[in-house]
Amino acid sequence: MQMLWLIIRREVVSNVLTSRFIIGFLVCLLATGVAVLVQVNDYEKRLTAYHTAVRESQDEARTWDVYSKINPKAHRKPNPLGIFHAGMETFGGNTVSVEPARPIWSGLHISFFAPIQKMGTDNPFLSIFLSVDVTFIFKIVLSALAILFAYNAISGEREDGTLKLVLSNAVPRDTIVLGKYLGGMFSLLPIVGVSLLFALLFAYASPATAFDGKDLAHIGLIFAISLVYVSTWYLLGLLFSVWTKEAATTLILSMFVWVIVTTVHSNVATFAVERLLPSQPTAESFRPIFQEALQIWDAFRKERNAYVKQRGREQAADWENPQDAISWPSKELASEISHGSGTAPWYSKETYGVNNIEHADLSIFLEILGYQEPLRIRYADKVEEVLNRPSRAAAKNAQLAADISRLSFADVYSFAVGTLAGTDRQSYTDFLSATRTYKRQLVDYLADKEAFSSPTWFSSDRGAVVLTDMPVFRHRRLSLSESLSRAAGDILILVAWNIILFMAAYVSFLRYDLG
Amino acid sequence: MIWHIVKKEIYHNLTTLRFALMILLLPLLMIANALIYGLAGGGWMAENNTHHQLAARSFNELKASAAQSLAELALVGPGRISKRPSPLIFCADGADEVIPKFVMMKSDIHSSRSGGNDAEPYAWRFPWTLEYPLPSESGNSMQRIKLDWVFIGILMSFFTILFTFDAIAGERARGTLSLIMSNQISRGQVLLAKYLGAFITLMVPLAIGILMNLLVILLSGSIPLAGGEWLRILGMVGLLALLVSSFIFLGLFFSSRVSNAITGLVWLLLTWVCLAFAFPSLLGTFVGNLNPIPSVDEVSLRKEAQLAQIEEEFREPHSTRLKKAPSAEDPETTRRWATYFLARIETQTQLADAQIDWQFRQVQLARDLTQFSPIACFQYAMEGLANTGVVSYMNFVKHARRYRQTFTDFIKTEDRTDSASLHIYPVKEGLSQKPVDVAAVPQFQEALSHESVLLPVGLLILFNALFFIIAQISFLKSEVK
Repeated sequence: MQMLWLIIRREVVSNVLTSRFIIGFLVCLLATGVAVLVQVNDYEKRLTAYHTAVRESQDEARTWDVYSKINPKAHRKPNPLGIFHAGMETFGGNTVSVEPARPIWSGLHISFFAPIQKMGTDNPFLSIFLSVDVTFIFKIVLSALAILFAYNAISGEREDGTLKLVLSNAVPRDTIVLGKYLGGMFSLLPIVGVSLLFALLFAYASPATAFDGKDLAHIGLIFAISLVYVSTWYLLGLLFSVWTKEAATTLILSMFVWVIVTTVHSNVATFAVERLLPSQPTAESFRPIFQEALQIWDAFRKERNAYVKQRGREQAADWENPQDAISWPSKELASEISHGSGTAPWYSKETYGVNNIEHADLSIFLEILGYQEPLRIRYADKVEEVLNRPSRAAAKNAQLAADISRLSFADVYSFAVGTLAGTDRQSYTDFLSATRTYKRQLVDYLADKEAFSSPTWFSSDRGAVVLTDMPVFRHRRLSLSESLSRAAGDILILVAWNIILFMAAYVSFLRYDLG
Repeated sequence: MIWHIVKKEIYHNLTTLRFALMILLLPLLMIANALIYGLAGGGWMAENNTHHQLAARSFNELKASAAQSLAELALVGPGRISKRPSPLIFCADGADEVIPKFVMMKSDIHSSRSGGNDAEPYAWRFPWTLEYPLPSESGNSMQRIKLDWVFIGILMSFFTILFTFDAIAGERARGTLSLIMSNQISRGQVLLAKYLGAFITLMVPLAIGILMNLLVILLSGSIPLAGGEWLRILGMVGLLALLVSSFIFLGLFFSSRVSNAITGLVWLLLTWVCLAFAFPSLLGTFVGNLNPIPSVDEVSLRKEAQLAQIEEEFREPHSTRLKKAPSAEDPETTRRWATYFLARIETQTQLADAQIDWQFRQVQLARDLTQFSPIACFQYAMEGLANTGVVSYMNFVKHARRYRQTFTDFIKTEDRTDSASLHIYPVKEGLSQKPVDVAAVPQFQEALSHESVLLPVGLLILFNALFFIIAQISFLKSEVK
């Protein structure tokens, strides 16, 4: 035990005194600092845009005087952990327009009228520049540092001839491997820790970022994963150091593996999948989808018209003239009913306005409305199913690309941090499903109020509707245990890499030939 | 003597592990590049076919409206103007998927009024304006790097570091540097020999890779390349050589500064990461804060407000200005409608142009700032030669604007030849009702401009000179032992 401690101490001291430690430390701090500065700035901008959008939606909500006008917006709240891992934070829509009979589908660049929109961007062209966050810096810079610490652990000592001296003591080889590993990790620990603390400090300096306990716990976990990631690289360097005879060869080999694992592999994998199976739906791929959606809306109108006919309103069979469904007490009072309709693949809307409403007998009209609107919502769900087909296929391809890039543990690290920070693709999908859940809540609320068959659906003649008890959109980020269980797969892969590499280094060193 | 050292350097390099690894990796990546860009998802051919289909569809629409009347053509506009896909996209992708591939010059918006409030019933189409689509977005940021020649060039700069970090420091450590110096040879010559040795060893695998890449493309016939394109490819090889050369000088500089080769490598590696990824992207993201512009929503709100104001002024129930419908017999009213349409066109055009100009200016600023990295210079020069990337889109937009003027001028001149017309643009009733010969209608032409290449290439040469000088000075001042 004492021997192990001695080896660790010696390793740490010899590492810390080198120039690479000081340079690495400084560059890591500098890069993290600048990255956090940029990301915090970006986050502040997103937060301001979010607050503005929420305020505007609240103002808009005050103008709803009838049920059919209800059209709340669900906003994606910027995630403060996006400072550490930007991920999907700056991508995808952030505002979803929720209407009971309107499908929610991802068509950000297909139509201006798609319900999912991205608000508050000033220059989409700037996305041609890579966005760099703390995870990116760690993924590239820390891994390089870990290799630079490990490459001469064994082969260097062998070249210096000190390995023989060490082994001539009564010290088992496994203690040496363990000592080297722990010594290297102890010298890397301050770099990871201080960089992350530095990042946290910078983030805290901004008034916009208010991390709560939960966020801090997530950041703690990110720190732990970063350590595991660094350890993977250190072990890889150690393994190469055992395998090769010269320190210079170890270094070259490790650097090659480093550049392939951190940059080449994931790009080639993602890019190949992207070209072979496009993960971005195009306007062309939506053409047949829109056709199908329009057919569904046609089916809706047919079913509705059949019902109108069945209610004995032959003349109103096509519902072109809903006036026939209203009976007026006298000729003089019989007045116009205004009827507007619009159909696009993504919605079908009909609006009504009735003059002299206080005298008219609306019972049949309301009954038909009460049948028609829930039916419309059911059909809207069908259309939603169809319209989301391209994005589901795209998500599958993206998943495939992600799975292939998981072969590289640098990407596994990136995915794990993304999941923990709540800025991965899945979290974005969660936001979209939360908006769909909200839509269902809204429909239930309207059904509870019997809004569809009420005159307040289209008329505010008895005052505006009271909507104080209307459900509000809520989307919470995952709790620590939830995100941990979601990231478990990636974390396990990283840990498995660690164990495999450690075992390989250990076994190789046991059989190491000192000659 | 120089050639002696160069030869020794080359022999030495050829037998190293790094050379073996490089000569394995480079052709592999180059072939992957040719296959992915040439064949995957239909490759460039499919993209080009789509472009031609869309252009043909747009032309047919143009023909149909020209056959109807000049007035119809004047209102509908020339249609969708697509940017020709560059065959050299495999050399420089230039974030192609983000950048729009067309602009719209077509009017789809019909409107009508049924009368009432003493207004005459009238149905009309709003005249076309030039509209810019929003750039699309995709996945996460790392996907912004594509497997194109630019990426391979960035990798080359990394290999350069691996080949040069011990060029001087290693010899010094082994004690062979003083032996070389004991010969009748100046330090400058030693440096030059080292440079040439590294340059040749690096360029040979690269040349092999490029040849294999082009061979795959030629044999599969997936991307037809014409004479001009071969010239441009030659220019790109020159750019790759410039990039490699600048990094050799940088490597030699660090290698002569440090006593331990590993320290040199640490410095080089961190410099490389900063030049290749960290600072170009950080500056790119940061520029939005340096030079803030109104957001997309703000601009569209502003546009809506201004259009609403125009509507108020001309068409609201209280306004009597457009009560009558325009007709060929009533030039007065027709002229009023023309003022209304022109006011709308001006608002739309002004805001759309201003917005895209702001965005372009920001991007340009970001690019200018990032050019302090030789890798960024290399990338921009490659994009300029390949005619991809955001600058080529800017150029396309510039030409589209010029075409907007040409088309409008054509309509007006053509209209003047018809004596029956009222010559009131852009109201249907005020323009010639005769059909137009479609062959006379000016077609959109995109002239390629490689102007954007000049600055980055100049900077790249400057970087070479600068790194050469610092390497030279540092080596002259360095200790032999």
